[in-house]
Amino acid sequence: MNPRPFTRRGVLAGIAATPVAALTACNGVQGGADAAAADFPTRAVDFWVPFDPGGSGDLVSRALAKAAEEPLGESLPVTNKPGANGAVGLKELLAGDADGYTISLAVKSLFAITPLAVEDPDAVVIEDFRIITTLTNEAYVLVVHADSAYRTLDDLLAASAVNYATTGVGTGSQLSAQLLFVGAGVDATDVPFDGGASAVTALLGQEVDAVSASLAETMPQIEAGELRAIAVFSEERSPFLNDVPTAMEAGYDVVVDQRRFVVAPAAVDDEVAGVLSLAFEDAKESPEYGQFLQDNYMDRWEVDNLEAKAHLSEAAEQYAALAEDAGLQLGDGS
Amino acid sequence: MDFSSVLSGFAVAFEPQNLLFCLIGVTVGMLIGVLPGLGPAATIAILLPITYSLEPTAAVIMLAGIFYGAQYGGTITSVLLRMPGEASTVVTALDGHALARRGEAGPALGVAAIASFIGGTASILLLTFIAPALAGVALAFGPAEYTVLALIGIFLVGTLGSGSLWKSAAAAALGLLIATVGLDPLLGTPRFTFGTDQLADGIDFTIVAMGLFGVGEILYNLEHRDRPQPRVPAFGRAIPGRMHWLRSRMAILRGSVTGFVLGILPGGGATMSSLVSYAVEKRVAKDPSRFGKGAIEGVAGPESANNAAATSSFIPLLTLGIPANATMAVLFGALMLQGITPGPGLMNDHPDVFWGVVNSMYVGNLLLLALSIPLIGVFVRMLKVRPGVLAPLTVVITMLGVYSIRNNAFDMLLVVGLGLLGYGMRKLGFEPGPFVLAFVLGSLLEASFRRSMRLFGGDVTEFVQRPVSGVLVAVLVLTVVVVPLLRGVRARQSAAAARVTAE
Repeated sequence: MNPRPFTRRGVLAGIAATPVAALTACNGVQGGADAAAADFPTRAVDFWVPFDPGGSGDLVSRALAKAAEEPLGESLPVTNKPGANGAVGLKELLAGDADGYTISLAVKSLFAITPLAVEDPDAVVIEDFRIITTLTNEAYVLVVHADSAYRTLDDLLAASAVNYATTGVGTGSQLSAQLLFVGAGVDATDVPFDGGASAVTALLGQEVDAVSASLAETMPQIEAGELRAIAVFSEERSPFLNDVPTAMEAGYDVVVDQRRFVVAPAAVDDEVAGVLSLAFEDAKESPEYGQFLQDNYMDRWEVDNLEAKAHLSEAAEQYAALAEDAGLQLGDGS
Repeated sequence: MDFSSVLSGFAVAFEPQNLLFCLIGVTVGMLIGVLPGLGPAATIAILLPITYSLEPTAAVIMLAGIFYGAQYGGTITSVLLRMPGEASTVVTALDGHALARRGEAGPALGVAAIASFIGGTASILLLTFIAPALAGVALAFGPAEYTVLALIGIFLVGTLGSGSLWKSAAAAALGLLIATVGLDPLLGTPRFTFGTDQLADGIDFTIVAMGLFGVGEILYNLEHRDRPQPRVPAFGRAIPGRMHWLRSRMAILRGSVTGFVLGILPGGGATMSSLVSYAVEKRVAKDPSRFGKGAIEGVAGPESANNAAATSSFIPLLTLGIPANATMAVLFGALMLQGITPGPGLMNDHPDVFWGVVNSMYVGNLLLLALSIPLIGVFVRMLKVRPGVLAPLTVVITMLGVYSIRNNAFDMLLVVGLGLLGYGMRKLGFEPGPFVLAFVLGSLLEASFRRSMRLFGGDVTEFVQRPVSGVLVAVLVLTVVVVPLLRGVRARQSAAAARVTAE
């Protein structure tokens, strides 16, 4: 970062901070950058969503960005940068300045599941980023058609052959269902569709027997009584579907979820990251954001940076090990 | 059906505030439709934050207005500049632009506006009375049905254009090839991505259309600067004459029904409806050779079809909660942000939103008709602008539009590359229409076919065993094999008869 000439506010902030600077005594060289960081933000912060508009990732980002404007004191315009499950947007983020004026949504599946299906030597890794704040945990749920003969998970797993739709190659939808069916020794064929909407359509039309998808993608139809949820792939039951057992309760050790969080490039200044984190903590307390999560069937995932990174690395290793044990082939890149 | 909620929907639609947002929506929609490359999906995404502070019904009325308003506007650029911004207006560009070159841009746009109005309005009427019953139609179409539908579409592509059938087929084949770029839909294997994520999701339709039609056409015209410019008609000629009207009215009627039915299908319905309508009009015409050279039915049919389809594509969103295309996905998001879940419960839980939005479309279509007719004269003047000014301006707007799709600079390079390809094709006498349409239908065909084969366990005969796909297979065989054979036989007979009488 280039040292900036002292602005008046910067100088005042610098004077106020003098005792601290004297104590730590190592900030001399970075004085200009620190002053800029102390000012942060002086202009709008771009909030990137590396997914198409209209999806869950887009919606949660917009709800968060709106709630964070007041605590941050600047606006956070949302820009969609879709492509390759978020890899296109995040690579562009890494190529830009790490000044904190550009941050992005990121998802667990890109770091933990996509590598199982798509081979990419230049894939982004979680170490490239600093996690600014963590947002949501969204459970995958296994659903069948309301008219289906399969009333419970046991019914489905006792079937001689099962066709199931997934929301795409290298998604949590595919991983969760494959782990379950392989674990239960069911002769199951996966049919990847192009996103949640088309997979759910195929199930509504009874083209397939089941689909694993996120709660947001299935709850409207579950509530309308058109689809029946028979298992959730979370450690504990979902508060939105209290009467639906987890796969673990049924004896299958399959826990797959999607988690969303906000990142900046790893080189971002500590103070800048701190300002952003604080603003988002405030935003997550706002009633509007809480209502949004409730309306969209999302659980909170609110942990600190270290715990979040540990979770993501563990999940990547764990999924890879599970997939290898089960002999899964998500795509042909693994 | 509960008619009181339909009627109270009119009360909602006619609230002054909602009328205002309807007007804003359709005007914005028409403007972005006119600008090449800028699409309704990107526009609605940009405008989403503005809708936070609006009341849900007003917000959705405005955003829906942008969507169908863009359909009207897109026609103008298709006809005047031969730059279709949506897959569903590619067909319109063929005869529409031919008419414009002949100096009949005004009547072409006039007929298109009236056709759009009738198609849109007929579709809303049908939607009002039979939407709930028709929700199931979208579900009757599984991968097998989409496979056959896409196959019919690809064969229909062959009927487009006036040039050689072989060149059309070659261009279509190239379009199918470009459709395979990106991660394999079932295996995730990268295909023709050259190791970059940028191509992992394939190439967006708008980029292909803007490259091949837009940039390609501009490059070609630069080379032919001394080519005679299209004549700019006097303002009065903007109103279609009796002859245009007589030729168009049946086409509009048929197009409206085709559009309504096919528009219900999520994914590719609107494109298919414009293609089917064009093919039908060409088949029933007394002189099919006029098509591709400026047949007004070739504008009227597809335009009523794609506007009817734009309206009926709301059916899966509002009744099943399934977004039928990229724009619907953003509208879905807009409703969710307002705390309203589109889907099976919408009509009962929020009748004011449902019927308010549906009924506002009558108003919107009327406003669009009222806006377009006087504006045609203005837009036609665009042809008077010197190519030296118009071409660079068009390229700049196209680049902005292409960037706005993914906010990605790589896409701008891609459109230039495809523009060069379009220029090359144009020079060698290959038409971009079959290429672009085959590109759209190619992804649908490949993914649907391979999904079907997985579902059927590899048994191809299931395509004819399922009722809906079986009927579609019959239609395919009839139109592709039987009709041309019969026609061949008849041609030979009449030739023989002619010889007999000559002797």
